[in-house]
Amino acid sequence: MNTSTQTAQQPLARRAGAGGNPFAAQHRRRMFRGDLLTVIAWSSVAAAIALWLADGGASGFSTPGGTFTALGIVAGLAGMDLVLLMLLLAARLPIIDGAVGHDRALEFHRKLGKPALYLLLAHGVLLAVGYGMADGLDPVSEAVSLWVQVPDMWLAYISILLFIAVVVTSLVAVRRRFPYEFWYAVHLLTYAAVLTAIPHQFSVGGLFAEGTWQRWYWLAVCIGTGAALAHYRVLEPIVATVRHQLTVSRVVSAGHGVVSIEMTGRHLDELAGSGGRFFIWRFLAPGQWWHPHPFSLSAEPVTFGADGGGRLRITVRNLGRGSAALARLRPGTRVAVEGPYGLFSSASRSRRKVVLIGAGIGITPIRALLENTPFAPGEATVILRGHNQSGLYLGDEILDLCQRRGATLFHLTGRRPRGVSTWLPESESRAGYRLASYAPDLAGSDIYVCGPDAWARNVLDDARQAGVREEQLHYERFDW
Amino acid sequence: MRIRAVVSATLASAGILLAGWQSGAHVAESASAVGTTAGTAGTGTTGTGSAKSGLGSSAGGSSSGSAASGDTSSGTGTSGSGASGSSGSSSGSSSAGGTFTGDSVQTRFGSVQVQISVSGGKITDVKALQLTDEDRRSVQISNRAAPLLRSEVLQAQSANVQTISGATVTSSAYLTSLQAALDAAHL
Repeated sequence: MNTSTQTAQQPLARRAGAGGNPFAAQHRRRMFRGDLLTVIAWSSVAAAIALWLADGGASGFSTPGGTFTALGIVAGLAGMDLVLLMLLLAARLPIIDGAVGHDRALEFHRKLGKPALYLLLAHGVLLAVGYGMADGLDPVSEAVSLWVQVPDMWLAYISILLFIAVVVTSLVAVRRRFPYEFWYAVHLLTYAAVLTAIPHQFSVGGLFAEGTWQRWYWLAVCIGTGAALAHYRVLEPIVATVRHQLTVSRVVSAGHGVVSIEMTGRHLDELAGSGGRFFIWRFLAPGQWWHPHPFSLSAEPVTFGADGGGRLRITVRNLGRGSAALARLRPGTRVAVEGPYGLFSSASRSRRKVVLIGAGIGITPIRALLENTPFAPGEATVILRGHNQSGLYLGDEILDLCQRRGATLFHLTGRRPRGVSTWLPESESRAGYRLASYAPDLAGSDIYVCGPDAWARNVLDDARQAGVREEQLHYERFDW
Repeated sequence: MRIRAVVSATLASAGILLAGWQSGAHVAESASAVGTTAGTAGTGTTGTGSAKSGLGSSAGGSSSGSAASGDTSSGTGTSGSGASGSSGSSSGSSSAGGTFTGDSVQTRFGSVQVQISVSGGKITDVKALQLTDEDRRSVQISNRAAPLLRSEVLQAQSANVQTISGATVTSSAYLTSLQAALDAAHL
């Protein structure tokens, strides 16, 4: 998964001092991949509808009942296609992660949720009306008769109820009221919802009847999605866990309520360049093993020997109940791991210079990125933000790295002013400083931001107002 | 970059939809050709309508003796349903058991009606007078399902058989009509 970063990095490091933009080609390739994925996603929806058009479906529009039926079928096809796209977006496919990043993929996933549900609901209602008109029944009686008389339809009714449950519990307002685990458990029902939806598509709908090429296309799409999920969400994590054999070696305090967890393992040379990217960790201790933690590496992997044996480190704060228990982890605890994920790495660089901005516990991936991302002396700016000096976690290490690599470091501490939305402390904000005050050549820089959501938004707005293009902005959400 | 993605995605989608629509237009033409054949089947229905009225009188004393099964099969072999009408009326006197026509069952894909030939208290043949033919797909589904249903029914000697996957509507209508025919034959 990481080899592209590796091969890209070595020539870059050599050319970085030569002038010009060493990341231009990498950036062009990534943008192309992103655009290509967009085209594929749209085309898949069009293809789902084209299946039905190619079957002469448009002739259904000749009667009123046929019009409802036709629209219902189109809604169902498009809705199911969106559901499959959502599954793929959440499947952590390397091609999607490498092109747009895990965050952005999940953002699209979230955006598709409501449209997909509306299409599926419309599918049910329109077909009940359309079939009802053909059979001379009202929609409710038609729905009941479909349930009772047509095989596989009862599964479809269960499916739509599950989809409603999944989408409703994912609405921001609802989701905040429940613990993460509840949302997660309900979200797992998505798989049941999709599986119960599939039988009626092949048995009730004439479009996918046996002997049609449409049936083969639809089967291929469904099976392909299932295979991608099984491979990247089940198989790969197991392989990574077995291959790296991670165990907790040390838990050390790194400030008030913050601990660094060090793990030793094998074949860690394969993870080089993943400092700053995140993994899903499961600590296999009693009462802990089922709880997945998404944390970024706070340092580049260190390798000791020729066999790739070495050490990983994450730095975490007591955010939730699960995170608090991490401070009490015993050395020797085994660790299951998935990853690395995300684009908080050199793979997303597009410009010569780099600006790294972190706040609070968001400083830790900044620390790892500072260690591994290529830049010439004088071409990097690091800005750390905290309530006070002790809130600048790993501050000593960062100072050391800045001195060694020739980066400019700013410490911004103090409370933010009241009633003003700014990412700066009160005194700096009053003085009228902006992001450009710290890093003058914003247009020629990549800007990496990691910190609490509202704060990060303010940084990004500041950058956008300074004329920074969207492709130069790289940010990672870490509050769920 | 964003613009490039949106423009090419729109063009690609439009192209795919157009291609689908074009090949669909072909299908619609051939479907209308199928429609005319279905029309001929429709005249068959009126024929069976009269046969049905004839059935009411002859159904009572129909089952007797062993059939010259060659006769029955040749009767059903001729596809014109007018023939079945006459055989229905003549069944009362002859020893051939007889033919019984089920109700015409309406579905959203067209109506379905079957006719059975009975001899010696056994179903010897099932003939579909009309099958779902609303569009090309329905015709295709019907053509696939009908022979399967026929052989299942002949084997089970009742309407209590599995529906054909992918042809559930046709199957259930077929079996409903069949049951009506079985009731008429007092089987």
